[in-house]
Amino acid sequence: MPNNNIAAVLTRTDTWRGRNRRSPRRTLSTGHRSLDLLLQGGWPVSSITELLPQQPGIGELSLLLPTLKYYADNNQLCVWLDPPYQPYAPALVGANIALNKLLLVRSKSHGEWLWAAEQSIRSGALLMAWTRQPSPRYADLRKLQLAAADSGNAAFLFSSPSKVLGSPSPVALRLELESLGVNQLLLTLHKMRGKAAGEKLALSLGEPWAQRTDLAMLPVDRHHGYLSNPILRLNG
Amino acid sequence: METLLPQMPEEQAHKPLAIVRLHKNAQLVLCCNTQASAWGIEPELSLSTALALCPDLLVLPRQLEQEQRHLQQLALVAYSFSPLVILYNDIGLWLEISGCHKLFKGYDTLLQDLEKRLRDQSITAINGIAQNPLAAQLLCQSSFQTQLPSSTAMQRNLLATDLTRLDTSHKQQQSFKQLGLNTLGDLFALPRSALSRRFDGQLMAIIQQLKSEKPFTATPFQPANIFHDVVQNPQGIFNKESLLFPMKGLLQRLCQYLTARQCHCLEIEWRFEPLIGEPQKMQMQLSGSQNNWSSLLTLSRLQLERLELPRSIEQISLYSEQFIEAPMGVFNLDLFGDQQSTQESCELIDRLNARLGIEALSQPILSEEYLPEQASTLGLPGVLSKSNIKDPSKAPQPLWLLTEPAPVQMRNQQLYWRQPLSIISGPERVCGNWWQSEQQRDYYLACDNKGARYWLFRETANQRWFVHGLFS
Repeated sequence: MPNNNIAAVLTRTDTWRGRNRRSPRRTLSTGHRSLDLLLQGGWPVSSITELLPQQPGIGELSLLLPTLKYYADNNQLCVWLDPPYQPYAPALVGANIALNKLLLVRSKSHGEWLWAAEQSIRSGALLMAWTRQPSPRYADLRKLQLAAADSGNAAFLFSSPSKVLGSPSPVALRLELESLGVNQLLLTLHKMRGKAAGEKLALSLGEPWAQRTDLAMLPVDRHHGYLSNPILRLNG
Repeated sequence: METLLPQMPEEQAHKPLAIVRLHKNAQLVLCCNTQASAWGIEPELSLSTALALCPDLLVLPRQLEQEQRHLQQLALVAYSFSPLVILYNDIGLWLEISGCHKLFKGYDTLLQDLEKRLRDQSITAINGIAQNPLAAQLLCQSSFQTQLPSSTAMQRNLLATDLTRLDTSHKQQQSFKQLGLNTLGDLFALPRSALSRRFDGQLMAIIQQLKSEKPFTATPFQPANIFHDVVQNPQGIFNKESLLFPMKGLLQRLCQYLTARQCHCLEIEWRFEPLIGEPQKMQMQLSGSQNNWSSLLTLSRLQLERLELPRSIEQISLYSEQFIEAPMGVFNLDLFGDQQSTQESCELIDRLNARLGIEALSQPILSEEYLPEQASTLGLPGVLSKSNIKDPSKAPQPLWLLTEPAPVQMRNQQLYWRQPLSIISGPERVCGNWWQSEQQRDYYLACDNKGARYWLFRETANQRWFVHGLFS
């Protein structure tokens, strides 16, 4: 007679089963070929991904745009929990992302942040969460990681590398993002299940802008007449 | 079929209890419980006599308004059993069940289901079953019948019914007695012409209706347009946990109402009223995606956690006025499961809304404006963008926008915001609001030494530099 309890345990994705432990990893393509290769298929679904950008503005969002688009196209909600700035709608529309699939959530306390993150993961939404001060504890991350394992959704956590890198984490993937130049990212693998840490990958997100213009070379506003050299005016 | 209901608010059940009504300046007993009957109290007794018989008698005044609300609730219950429900003089209900035979797989199952439903809600009811409403009313027995009697039994019972049960004037009853007529059978045995000579047209109409010769006309029950229900707690409720039980009951009734109307609610409002003082209101906006009481209760509970309540609560009311038609998705006809993710999203928004408040949630909205801060605003979730610009600007647009443009410093002839910045492309001129205060800005792309890109602008009027966004 089949035992229902055992059957329920066996259908879980996180049950270890002797020989055939190489159960196919469920991943979601990142939209970048070389990154897919590095991550053995793409972003892990049913797990949290920790992204550690050195500073905001280096391309951490552009990296996720294909994933965002994938979720929005599939009619699933994308929750932005405590983003540092406001997402700019024209740029998102330019990337063909449906705005009504985005939801910005502002939490007022650590408890609210954790609750909202867990609820989003469990309701089949794509979570992009920016950690608050103080950084989430190991137990909190573990809670979110378990929620993600149950729900089978990708979830991204943005933290600052200087605060997080020293401490252990229960998440399946930890990537540090550095900038090599404009539109050029250097990804460092700090943790990944089934792979050794320390691998690096340079990723280009678009054309590199090499040319830098000197302030003095900017076109001059002729309407106001008084400017021949804008810098003089700016200094004054 | 008819269900006649004794209107008894369920309260202290172990004491002798009587409900009194005012009749021509005298208080008469309307009904009483079994404990009171043991003391010899019966309906139509005056209150003073009743109190003389039983000094411990607990007397409650009749509350018509409450009775009516109760009857409306019952009508809703009945409405889920039959499409044709008629309220009778605020004391009973008629249900037409001949059309519901197939749905319930037999009348007996229907009656058993109905009895179970009523028992679950601790309502005592009696019923009578017959081919027409008036006959059903006359055939009401002292208990609830769960078996459909055969039509000959129905006819036999009807003929054996005492004439005193007929709803006629006292004078008419007298003349029945004088004629030696005791049962309906005696009355029906007389020739029609003799009857019409002796009695008025009203009785003739009743007889015709009882014999199903004349159709019965009445306006059928329709669920009200708004939902309002109240639970009273004379003892008072002192903590939030114990509030949940009465709230659950109210939500179950709301869901019954919603099912009857085949719609979903968009908003519900709770009112918690203390004995003295202002009631505390709690409004909940819903996405209208769900209709079951347990999720509504979860949402209410989440929102209740944020609420400061009066110390003791006497009365809880629930209002709901805004509804939308239930989407077909309830029946899950959708082949690809798209509907499910939409519903999950709606449920998530509802939950976040209940716990964090609506002010915590927003959604980027695109508008056809020139200034970036007006082109991209934040609005309430669920509102669709008014315009969908098909051809967005070719110029590079940042993904992050600063809520307020941040002024940029100049250090050693170099732009400086957090770090030294250098321009890499531009300008793109943006003009807006020329009809108010003209704003003319030149937008530039800048980057710092580490490669992060910024969106800067210089106001042409005063040549000041600002950071307005981050390319990310």
